[in-house]
Parts: sequence; structure tokens; C-alpha cells
Amino acid sequence: MAELLIENLNFRRGDFQLQLDHVKITPGEKVAILGENGSGKSTFLHLLSGMLLGHGEILYSGRDLHQIPVAERARLFSLLTQFSYLIFPFSVEEVVLFGRFPHTQGNSFSETDKELSEQQLKKLDLLHLRNRQFSQLSGGEKRRVMLARVLNQQAPIIYLDEPNASLDIRHTLEIFELLSNRDETVISPVHDINLAERFFERFLLLKQGSLLADVSREQLTPELLTETYDVQVTGGTAAFTFSQL
Amino acid sequence: MKKLLIIIFLFTLSVSCLIGSTAINPLDASPVERDILLSLRLPRVLFSAVIGAMLGLSGSVYQLTLKNPLADSFTTGAASSSALGAVLAIAFGLPLPLVPLTALITGLLGLMTVYRLSKTNGVINPVTMILAGVVMNIVASSVISFAKYFFEDSLSSIVFWLMGGFFVVDWSKLLLCTTVLVIAYLLFAGRALQLNLLALDEHSAQSLGVNVDRLRTIAFVGATALVAVAVSHTGIIGFVGLIVPHVARSLFGSDMKQNLFFSSLLGALLLILADTASRSIIPGGAELPVGIITSLLGGVFFLYLLQTRRERFWHG
Repeated sequence: MAELLIENLNFRRGDFQLQLDHVKITPGEKVAILGENGSGKSTFLHLLSGMLLGHGEILYSGRDLHQIPVAERARLFSLLTQFSYLIFPFSVEEVVLFGRFPHTQGNSFSETDKELSEQQLKKLDLLHLRNRQFSQLSGGEKRRVMLARVLNQQAPIIYLDEPNASLDIRHTLEIFELLSNRDETVISPVHDINLAERFFERFLLLKQGSLLADVSREQLTPELLTETYDVQVTGGTAAFTFSQL
Repeated sequence: MKKLLIIIFLFTLSVSCLIGSTAINPLDASPVERDILLSLRLPRVLFSAVIGAMLGLSGSVYQLTLKNPLADSFTTGAASSSALGAVLAIAFGLPLPLVPLTALITGLLGLMTVYRLSKTNGVINPVTMILAGVVMNIVASSVISFAKYFFEDSLSSIVFWLMGGFFVVDWSKLLLCTTVLVIAYLLFAGRALQLNLLALDEHSAQSLGVNVDRLRTIAFVGATALVAVAVSHTGIIGFVGLIVPHVARSLFGSDMKQNLFFSSLLGALLLILADTASRSIIPGGAELPVGIITSLLGGVFFLYLLQTRRERFWHG
């Protein structure tokens, strides 16, 4: 398990700037990143996963991210991108098996890799689609296949960029339930605050590239959400309701 | 299916040695016919197989690394920019071994120009890529025309070379091309699993432990080396690398372990057939440049791909 420490992280692109002074995430925490569009949620995730290069320190169990080889990073954290795609007709089974690549060390996939992939297919209700071509699936099915691939990587930290995008409510609930019961650290931008509040235990609230608050479920108040989203938020811990200011 | 394809390949290779301006019966061959068979036909058929495999292999790698089903040495501009380097090397009278090297350098420059032009915000636009490839072909053609005009002394060598085909084949050329093919194949086959992951978006591939920039560089250099060496020996033979990876994919799936091998095999098969047709189609022993046949086939196939995948192309 890996502890994640972020110190003085700064990233600038055009007029946008992301700045986080200090965030420490302990192994197994389920962290939702909340904020309006353009607040820096995906950028933050891309910085943490090394897809973007910023200033400051990102330390995984004390090791600087940029000192860790790409191959080793894949055993440390996995990433579900917001817009993942695939060219050419690979089957669902093949795509999920891709997740085992960091464990192959350049060799072919082993029987264990294939068994683990089958388990992921089962967990995400995809067994019946295993031989279908990925390109022929619906948006929600594709999302679940990509999530199965990410979970199949078995990395101790999982970054998910809006994992429930394109998913129906049943699969959304199943997937969040699945994620909340896993041992890995899960860090994910989530748009649905009620879902976030129900399945995550810690919340990083971003506003215009700055960390507005870093709070637990109990500390997530309507006032904080009002300030984060610039909408009037009312309600308690079970459900928030929203209306125009 | 795989075994059947290998049997068809070996059968075609054997039979095409016997077909040409003079049909040869191997069981009743005169000494002259035996000489034609072993000194002319066999190296030529083997050479066309090796060049076909080189172009098929390069097409398989280009299509995946450029995420474009219309990519091959011709549509990416790699072949014409390699040809430009080869023509300039011939025109300036460089030693023969330097011709493929010059072709490799200009081929890579051409490919990188097309790649840079077609990539916006980390995503390659397939339509822009094809347009940039067309522009690269036009620029290379005009510089080649200028070279033909300006370097009168080398005109006959340039024109003869530009006609393409397998008119002059010897065992040393065959050995060189086979060596390059084997090295490139081993280079790619050893990275087949990683290459598969390039079918994903770049961030997903990188998050799985693939050093995307390094792998793409290896793929570009390896595939363009195949094209440059092939073009340096035969001129431009277009579209083999466009057709065969698709056929291989539809027969054996998209896994690069299979696609690398069967694109090479089908490329070899296609070029043997095209070359056999080119030296048999005109009565009286005259030959068509083989590029005419492959371009005709490839052009039709290109239109088919555009028609069947039109929506996907226009919407990137």
C-alpha cells in the first residue's frame, strides 16, 4: 500500500492555474474530488498520475513520482481516463486482459492473468459480453469494460476520472458499492454530490484551481458546497438539493 | 486457417517461379530453363516476397501507432519522402550503400512532419493526417521532378529507379532486405504486447506502464527503415501496407502478435501475385511496373475503407 503526499503542487496552462499546498492521502482512503467544470479536477488527476508535469512534489511512499519509471508506476497506480477509446476491433476479454500488462514483465499473459481477468468480467457484469468487439458496445458498457481493465491492474491506488459517466443508475450504484468496499485507495472526481457523499469518506473541494476545503463526510456541509459550486445548496447528509442562487 | 494460409503462400511462391514470359515445367526443364528458374525467377520471387513482407509489416505498425486505419507508407508520405532521399542520393552520386540511409533520414523527416501536423492536443486527427500525407507526396514529387530536370547526368538512373519493380534482382540485395526485415520483425514482435496497448488512448497506455514516446519512436524508426530500404531497391510500391493489415485483422483478430506475422505473410503473398501478374499480363514478354497493379488494388480498397468508415473519419 502506498501513501500519497502532495506538497506545493503548482501547474499553469494559459490563464488557468492549479495550486495545492499540502495534501496527504493514507492507504485505503476513498477520496472524491468535487468542483465545478474547469476547477481543475481532471488536471489534478493527470498531475498525480504523471500525465502532466507540474512544479512541487508528488511523493508515493516518500518517492518522487518523476523518479519512478513508467513501468513501475503502473504497479503503483491505475487510471481510468475521462475519454478512453480504442482503435481496431479488440474483444472485451482482450481489453480487460490489457490491465494485466504491468505484471507480465514483457512476457505473454499467464493463465493467472486470464483467470483474474475473468473474475473482473464477472464482478462488473460483463461475462456475457466477453467475446463481443469493444467498438460495438454501448457507451455504458464500454465504460464498465475500461473500469474492469483498470481494476485488473491491481494497483494500490486507483484514479478514476468520473467513473460513472455514461452509466445507468443500477450500474452506477453497483460500481460505487464495489469501489467503496475495496482495500485500495480510490481518488476520483465525481459530479454527483449525493453519490459522492454516500460512497466516499473524504472530499477535496476545488474552486478555480485552488483547494477550497479538505474535509471528511461529517464536515461536508451545504455551505461548503454552496461556496464550491456557486449554487444554493440545502439539505442534510442523506441528500442535497440544488436550486439557482 | 493459419496453416492453410502458409500452405497457400508456399504454393504461390513455387508456382510463380514457373510462370512468366516462358512457362517452365520443373520436371522437364532444359538447362537454359533451369538457369532462368534459379538465377532469375527464384531470386525475383523471393525478393518480391521480402519486399511485400516489409511493406505489410510497416503498414501494420503505422496503422496502430498512428491510430489510423488508412495509414501506410504511401498515405503517410513516408514512401515518397524516402524516395526523395534516394533520388537525391542518386543525383549527387553518393555511394550505393548510402542510398537507403539517405532514404531513411528523409523518410523519417517526412513522417514526423505529417505526424506533427496531424496531432492536436495529443490526439491524431486521421483526416488531417491523410491530407498532410497528400501534401508530403506532392512536395516530394515536385522536388524529384526538379532533380530529374537539374541533374541531367543522373536522369537515366533516376528514371529507371523510379519506375519501380523487380527488374534487377541479385542475391546480395535479397540478403540485405531479408536482414532488415528479420531485424525489424524481431524488434516489433518482442514488443507486440506493448504495441497492442497503443490501440488505447495515450494516457491509458501510459498508465499501463508503456513508455509511449519511446515505443512510438522505435515503431516509427523501425517501420520507416523497412520502407526506406524497400523503396531504395524497388521504387515506390504503394498500398500493400494499407491492404494487408486489414485483411490480417479480419482473419486473425487485432492482437499485434498475430497481426505482425500475418501482415508480413499476406504482404509477401500479395506482392508475389502482383509481380507474377505484372510479368505475365502483357503477351510477348513485356512487363508492367508492379506498382501499377498494387496502386490499382490499393486505390479501390482505400475507397472501400472511406465508404465503410466515413462517419468515423470525418468525426475524428
